[in-house]
Amino acid sequence: MNDIFYKQTQDDLKKNEEKADRAAELSVANKKLAFQNEEKDKRAAELAVANKELAFQNEEKDKRAAELAVANKELAFQNEEKDKRAAELAAANKELVIKKERIKELNDQLENSVKERTAQLEHANKELEAVSYSISHDLKAPLRHITGYNSLLEKKYKDLLPAEGRQYIDNISSATKNMAELIDGLLQFSKINRIEMKKDLLNMNQIVDMLTWPIKEGDIDNRIEFSIEALPLAYGDLEMMTSVWSNLIENAIKFTKNKNLVKIIIGAEENENTIIYYIKDNGAGFDMNYASKIFTMFQRLHSQKDFEGTGIGLATVQRLITRHGGKIWAESKVGEGASFYFSLIKTEG
Amino acid sequence: MKMSTILYVEDNPLDVDLTMEAFKEKKIANQVVVANDGVEAIEYLKQEGRFKDRKSGNPGLILLDLKMPRMDGLEFLAIIKNDAQFKRIPVIMLTSSREEKDLIRGYDLGVNAYVVKPVDFLSLTEIVRQIEGFWAIINEVPSEG
Repeated sequence: MNDIFYKQTQDDLKKNEEKADRAAELSVANKKLAFQNEEKDKRAAELAVANKELAFQNEEKDKRAAELAVANKELAFQNEEKDKRAAELAAANKELVIKKERIKELNDQLENSVKERTAQLEHANKELEAVSYSISHDLKAPLRHITGYNSLLEKKYKDLLPAEGRQYIDNISSATKNMAELIDGLLQFSKINRIEMKKDLLNMNQIVDMLTWPIKEGDIDNRIEFSIEALPLAYGDLEMMTSVWSNLIENAIKFTKNKNLVKIIIGAEENENTIIYYIKDNGAGFDMNYASKIFTMFQRLHSQKDFEGTGIGLATVQRLITRHGGKIWAESKVGEGASFYFSLIKTEG
Repeated sequence: MKMSTILYVEDNPLDVDLTMEAFKEKKIANQVVVANDGVEAIEYLKQEGRFKDRKSGNPGLILLDLKMPRMDGLEFLAIIKNDAQFKRIPVIMLTSSREEKDLIRGYDLGVNAYVVKPVDFLSLTEIVRQIEGFWAIINEVPSEG
């Protein structure tokens, strides 16, 4: 019995032990479960957060997609614009090419007309030369014959003629002399445009002294008083500038011939770019109303009876000054003398 | 001193007349033969045409006008200055102005002197006097050989 009991007890014990073990195991398992549940809850919470995040990200994606759609639209519009511009540019280029062609055409036309004009000008110059030649030969010959026979008439038959006849001979003589001067003046005038200009630095005082010296020498009774100031050097053609001064000085002498005391002042004023030379006399002067005529070919403001002349001298002077790139003008009062001014540029060109 | 002939080549009869008057005035006694243009002047030199029967020998001086019909002064010059027989004859060219380009051409062709035809008679006689001076020298030009 005891044994049985013992065995039973033993069994019971074992069973209890096992129970205890199971209980312990269960407790552990419970604990584990509890932990696992906790973990699950944690994950669930985390998942919820992650879900929220995802939702947010999706929202952002949608936003971006919308923005992208807008940007795409914009891009498409810009592309369209670009194409438009490209087309416009192509059209503008075409127009430019056309315009360039037109400009070339116009340039060619211009060049042609310049060539044509130059040829015309050359032709005109040649004709002018032919006219000069004709004047010097064909006009001079009959004049030479008139003067020649007039001289012979005077020489051989003067004594046979009455006073009136002798006067006629004198009149023919002075008329032919005048015509000879006219022809020479014309030749000189036509020469100005044909001859080449050689510009040098000129000593104006030297030129003026050279021209006034013989006048002073011939002025035995000291009627003429020259006052010549220091004149600046200027660039010019020696021969032409000598002709300018010669004509102006002769002019001053001519129109002071009735004065008992002649005063001629020659001087200059220097500006920044130009030099203005002047010659002033106390002669007959002229009416300023006709000042513009004074440099015109064959225009004279005084009668041949009062002052001889051809009306070529001052026209020649103006032409010479113009060829030098300068200007000439005059101021006067009738009976109080005249002042002639001409300007020259300071530089060599 | 041998008085040689002056060959005066000029087409204008009035110029010829006046020049002869001037010669007379200055008492230049040389014989002056007038040829009316270059062609006649060549004929004179070569003893042809109306000068076929002239006495032989070159003139001592040629006075040469430039502008003439048929053969002008420069053409005439070019011919005689290229001819051994005539090239030593002194030539005085008569021009209308000092500025003529013909003047340079004349000198290139061998002209010895030139005179500008004067407008008045006094100058003409003065020039004839100058030619006379020239003449005195050229009358002694050595003859060939």
